[in-house]
Amino acid sequence: MEFLNPGLQQIRHETRRHFLQSSGLGLGAMAFQSLLAGEGLADRLPAANPLTPRQPMLAPRAKRVIYLHMAGSPSQLELFDDKPELKKLHLQDAPASFLEGKRFAFIRGVPKILAGQFAFGRQGESGQVMSELLPNLAKVADQLCVIRTVHTDQFNHAPSQLFTHTGSPRLGGPSIGSWVTYGLGSLNQDLPGFVVLLSGGKTPDAGKSLWGSGFLPSVYQGVQCRTNGDPVLYLGDPAGMDRGLRRRMLDALAEMNQAEYQRSGDAETITRIAQYELACRMQVSVPEVMDISKEPQHILDLYGAKPGFVSPAESADDPRSLYKGDDPTFANNCLLARRLIENGVRFVQLYDWGWDHHGSSLGESIDETLPIKCQQTERSIAGLLIDLQQRGLLEETLIVWGGEFGRTPMMQNNVRSELKKGYIGRDHHPYAFTMWLAGGGIKGGLSYGQTDEFGYYPVENPVGIRDLQATILHVLGLDPHAFHYTYQGLDQRLIGPTDEGRVLTEILA
Amino acid sequence: MRNLAFRFLMTNLLLLVTLPGTPPLAAEPVRFARDVLPILSANCYACHGPDEHERQAEMRLDLEAAAKQPRDNAAPIWPSQPDQSLILERMTSTDPERMMPPPKSRKQVTPTQVETIRQWIVEGAPWGRHWSFEPVVKPAGSLDQLVTAALQQRGLAMRPQATPQARVRRLSLDLIGLPPTPEQADAFAKAPTRAAYEELVWELLNSPRFGEHWARMWLDLARYADTKGYEKDLGRTVWPYRDWVVAALNDDMPLDQWTLEQLAGDLLPNPTEAQRIATAFHRNTMCNDEGGTDDEEFRVAAVKDRIDTTIQVWMGLTMGCAKCHSHKYDPISNDDYYRFYAIFNQTEDADRYDDAPRMEVITPTQRTERERLQQRVTQLESELMQAEVAAENRGEGDVVFWSPVRVSQAVSRGEATLEAQPDQSIAVSGKSAVDDVYTLTVTLAAGRYTALRLEALPAKFPDGQSGVGRNPADPNFVVSELSVEWLDGPRTERLKLEHPRADFSQGGWPVAAAIDGDTKTGWAVSPRSRERHVALFDLAQPLTLTAEGTLRLTLTQAYGNRLTLARFRLSTSTIDPAQLTLPQDSPACRPLREQLTAAKTALKDFVAEVAQIPILRQLPADQQRVTRIHKRGNFLDQGEPVSPALLDGFGPRPEGAAPGRIEVARWLVNRDNPLTPRVWANRIWGRLFGIGIVETEEDFGQLGAPPSNPALLDWLAAEYRDGGWSLKQLLKTIVLSETYQQASETTAALQELDPRNMIPSRGGRFRLSAEAVRDQALAVSGLLSDKMGGPAVMPPQPGGLWRSTYNGKTWVDAEGEDRFRRSLYTYLKRTTPYPSFTTFDAGSGEVCQIRRIRTNTPLQALITLNDPVYLEAAAALARRMVTSGEQAESRVAYGLRLALIRPLQPGEAAPLVRLQRDVQRQLAMSPEQAAALIKSARGEAGGRDPAEFASWVVTANAILNLDEFLTRN
Repeated sequence: MEFLNPGLQQIRHETRRHFLQSSGLGLGAMAFQSLLAGEGLADRLPAANPLTPRQPMLAPRAKRVIYLHMAGSPSQLELFDDKPELKKLHLQDAPASFLEGKRFAFIRGVPKILAGQFAFGRQGESGQVMSELLPNLAKVADQLCVIRTVHTDQFNHAPSQLFTHTGSPRLGGPSIGSWVTYGLGSLNQDLPGFVVLLSGGKTPDAGKSLWGSGFLPSVYQGVQCRTNGDPVLYLGDPAGMDRGLRRRMLDALAEMNQAEYQRSGDAETITRIAQYELACRMQVSVPEVMDISKEPQHILDLYGAKPGFVSPAESADDPRSLYKGDDPTFANNCLLARRLIENGVRFVQLYDWGWDHHGSSLGESIDETLPIKCQQTERSIAGLLIDLQQRGLLEETLIVWGGEFGRTPMMQNNVRSELKKGYIGRDHHPYAFTMWLAGGGIKGGLSYGQTDEFGYYPVENPVGIRDLQATILHVLGLDPHAFHYTYQGLDQRLIGPTDEGRVLTEILA
Repeated sequence: MRNLAFRFLMTNLLLLVTLPGTPPLAAEPVRFARDVLPILSANCYACHGPDEHERQAEMRLDLEAAAKQPRDNAAPIWPSQPDQSLILERMTSTDPERMMPPPKSRKQVTPTQVETIRQWIVEGAPWGRHWSFEPVVKPAGSLDQLVTAALQQRGLAMRPQATPQARVRRLSLDLIGLPPTPEQADAFAKAPTRAAYEELVWELLNSPRFGEHWARMWLDLARYADTKGYEKDLGRTVWPYRDWVVAALNDDMPLDQWTLEQLAGDLLPNPTEAQRIATAFHRNTMCNDEGGTDDEEFRVAAVKDRIDTTIQVWMGLTMGCAKCHSHKYDPISNDDYYRFYAIFNQTEDADRYDDAPRMEVITPTQRTERERLQQRVTQLESELMQAEVAAENRGEGDVVFWSPVRVSQAVSRGEATLEAQPDQSIAVSGKSAVDDVYTLTVTLAAGRYTALRLEALPAKFPDGQSGVGRNPADPNFVVSELSVEWLDGPRTERLKLEHPRADFSQGGWPVAAAIDGDTKTGWAVSPRSRERHVALFDLAQPLTLTAEGTLRLTLTQAYGNRLTLARFRLSTSTIDPAQLTLPQDSPACRPLREQLTAAKTALKDFVAEVAQIPILRQLPADQQRVTRIHKRGNFLDQGEPVSPALLDGFGPRPEGAAPGRIEVARWLVNRDNPLTPRVWANRIWGRLFGIGIVETEEDFGQLGAPPSNPALLDWLAAEYRDGGWSLKQLLKTIVLSETYQQASETTAALQELDPRNMIPSRGGRFRLSAEAVRDQALAVSGLLSDKMGGPAVMPPQPGGLWRSTYNGKTWVDAEGEDRFRRSLYTYLKRTTPYPSFTTFDAGSGEVCQIRRIRTNTPLQALITLNDPVYLEAAAALARRMVTSGEQAESRVAYGLRLALIRPLQPGEAAPLVRLQRDVQRQLAMSPEQAAALIKSARGEAGGRDPAEFASWVVTANAILNLDEFLTRN
């Protein structure tokens, strides 16, 4: 990569300036001291290319991330947080303490308590409490660090997804994947550093901003790889343009551009020549890595993947009515995630849409849709963990699973207040919900944090979104408090301007 | 660059090693704003600055008096007494308890910086303000002299002028965003005099394309988009605002007027339509239509966005942090923020689903057309009504079906007046009660009566609308009960009605309910309450009168809300009721009815096309909001009420009454405001040289980058402000300078001494913007449409990208002219912006984008290689090339000149000539491949050998990807 990229002038200056003068690695302290200590700066700074891999600030516990986001937010009370007390109070009016001073998205007046709809059991040697809806995930229970006390301060989808992924509920901030790629660079030469894969038939509510680079240079934005059509937009040559013709054309172009460089002396021209070469390599490498058909059958089976499958849900106006348990789109994405990180992608972000189980219309219920969504995903997630472990990749890959908030212990009542099959639902609940981490640097088999008897509030070890963000950065070797980018007069950080976020050292292996 | 950075570090290091304790700038005095303030801001102000909540030890170092306040024979800063200046003692301390900045802050001052502070104190510690807060004073000299001086300091001189053709291309791309033709360039090259150059500049400045190009810069700042943002991201009509921007730029509207109209156009006396459209500037804020959101939360977010955008766009300061706490570095307190917020907190908009308040923007042609369509509907309605009445009243052979009754008396229980009309209908006027009973006495001739008809007829309201009921807001009626009595001398006999039927009944309000004896129920007709309706009732027993008789008809209308009949007619029939028909059953009226339906659809479709643009509208005085401080920025946690005020310290604030948006606009462009002219001049400079004199265009505060040439910046700022805020004049001044006209070629020495061209030591050379990259390709291939304005268009983009939740809208690739409109007109959906633009660093319109940071990535290469937009341009360029001559060499040369404008050097085109030949040779062996290639570029071989034409498409594709083509140089 190095020899190809003596340029990238603007970006390099931009990035370098921020690294040198204003980031946590700046001239002020650390970089300067490390120079004095005889340490080479070159490894630390985006010397030639903004995506050149960089040594982290701290000793890293993981090198890369696969983040599985269930957009819409699954119910913790049906999956991980067993609350027998809700059964006792089932269909009674919610106590005033649940409602006073609260704003809900849809609940109005006094809703009824809703018991968990599925059975729970203890799984693995660690005895993780998990739902009957997660039979495969149960097999890797000892890998998971389940946090049942995550809380957020947003209760609508788009702002909450933005808060989770960019640290701000409003638009304009870089996503975690962008931050990480900015801080650490990419580990490969012919794939994007930050890849996004979607399933469920819709873009997550906050859209493309969830993988945008915000105020960071756009080279750090996530690249959405699609499983239908060109995996990367405009990657495929047009019909009639074969590789030979393309090569010839790029050779002529490079020759012309070389001559231009001779005239102008502008290193940016050299960079452009290099970027065309990189594009040409991506045209081969991306389809290759995106092609799961060469995976052996036992691996496909492990995930439940089906090469070439295009779900009708992916192009339906309302995909929810088409959800069937055997749709392998998410499974294919999990397998792709492994292939991508195996090939050096730094951050793989999966979004699966369709987890917003209000019970107010068809295809969005706790009792019928949630089991389908679990069936579509939990085997693949378990498969991913097993596969990574078999390949020795799990210990250097951080896996994160969760939604943007949780769901209320009360039944949602704005459409119907009686229980009706296929229409049992819960509203948005930001005060306590479950996420889990696994892989690099994480204590497996740990159950962290406890909620009250209704699953309403944390009573022990509450974990804020900012704590999670701090922990993710820390695991990758980036000091969440020092790692920043100066923009608009502030040292902007993923964890926000205050120091409330803390690294959850208790869950680190 | 690595070497350079290393050298930079080494230089600092050498200073440390070789010059311990020596002030770094011993040759000249230390300057507070340039040398000292940056050190204090970066290291001290977070805890000893404007933010009262973070302030430690009650010590402020941002105010001179406080910083020099002695305490116990020492002061933080004691002029001329370094040993009594605590700041030095703390900065040099090695005791973790005493050292400043403290270790936990992760900040550290270098020994060089400490020396600078020491030297400054020795020199008397003269205070000052941050450079950008000082008044703008125009330095002596010309633009070129100021640049030359800066060059000479570094031992450099102005570079020679670029070639005439290069200058024409540069000018054209900079001023109108489109390339010139080679002919235009050659014409100038023949006599490249200053006068000819100036004439060219004026020509470009006066082109309508000028506004289209510079509008893009403004729309980034205005966070303009065609959708509302967030989850649903529904469409929004704001294009009239975009067209306003283009027109205002073309008219060279001065910045003061531009500011006034966009921030407060609605508050001007008798604002014009254009001035009200201008206020859509601040309606470009996002709305969240996601189910279950709190509208107030997003209204507040929008108002805060207006504050942040205003201050950042005009003054280059960031207000954002002052939402939650006082600014740590710049003098904007938490109170200041909410006082300023209070000014903007009084508009009507409130994150409503319909984007209210909106204003209709209709062209004269549209207005005429709408009137024509409206008239057609009215006329057909009237024709239909007459036809229906005629058809109902008379059958074949002039059988009389219905005869209107003769009313001898008609009274309202309330105060309404009931008057018989020539057509025997009864018009109701006068005061309308919430409910009413109409009682009519009618005289019938002798005969046998079988049925009764009630017609509800539309009547006109004063506003020109019509309806069958009397409440203009809901022109429905409810006939709760209809009763008929025969006054047979002293005897009164109630006649029983049966078999009720009506042409239309509102759901839940059937006509049968009008004769069910229950006044809680009744017959009503919403939503079709603006057209004639008919109810028929049979007499259970036909009434046979041997002589003239009298009936009393009672219409009880008890619903309330003034839902009473406005005009009606009662008729009787003497024939067999089975023969009586309702209007819709009359075959004679069917064609008219179909015409009416079509006319109504046409009107509705047309009205939907008329733009309704969101605008600012002030709340009435009695509905104004009380603004309170939001604690830590949380709108649910409000503190003390605040009164509106402008920020202090940036020019005079108006005396007297509380300031409004007009005062904000005037204050921003007041000649004593030090920031606005600097920020704007810098912004324009940045567009022409690729980088601002202050690189951080978004931050002129204490943490922003310092100006690379302060005198030059102030010269430009003063020139702009004192020259009547004319953008065209400012541009002209810059582009006529020798500085601007320098050749852009660089050398090793220049790379070394001015790597980023910030002096600037040469002409600007940088990749074109996203929009210019596409527009240029369309222009040189001859595809570009010059149609201006109107709704956004959808050029090709890959299928399936729009997958927003709960948003059924789809992207449909445009055909014809709209496929090739200027990029400014491309539909911008905030959550899924046009992919090729974002890849080339364009924004999404979600938040104000002060500048685009240019990148150079492989994804960009994929777009110009494979995006159908560029393939189609390649096919069109290929066509121009093959029709330009017969020789391959001359065709290539022609294509290259169209793209690069400059004359070619001998042999320069050879690689492309070879490419064309090789490709043709290969494709000759596989004609299907050639045909496929042409098809994917939507090309037409036009009778030529497909292999040959396809080879030219490939060659054109290469030309459109040349680095020099994508670059403005």
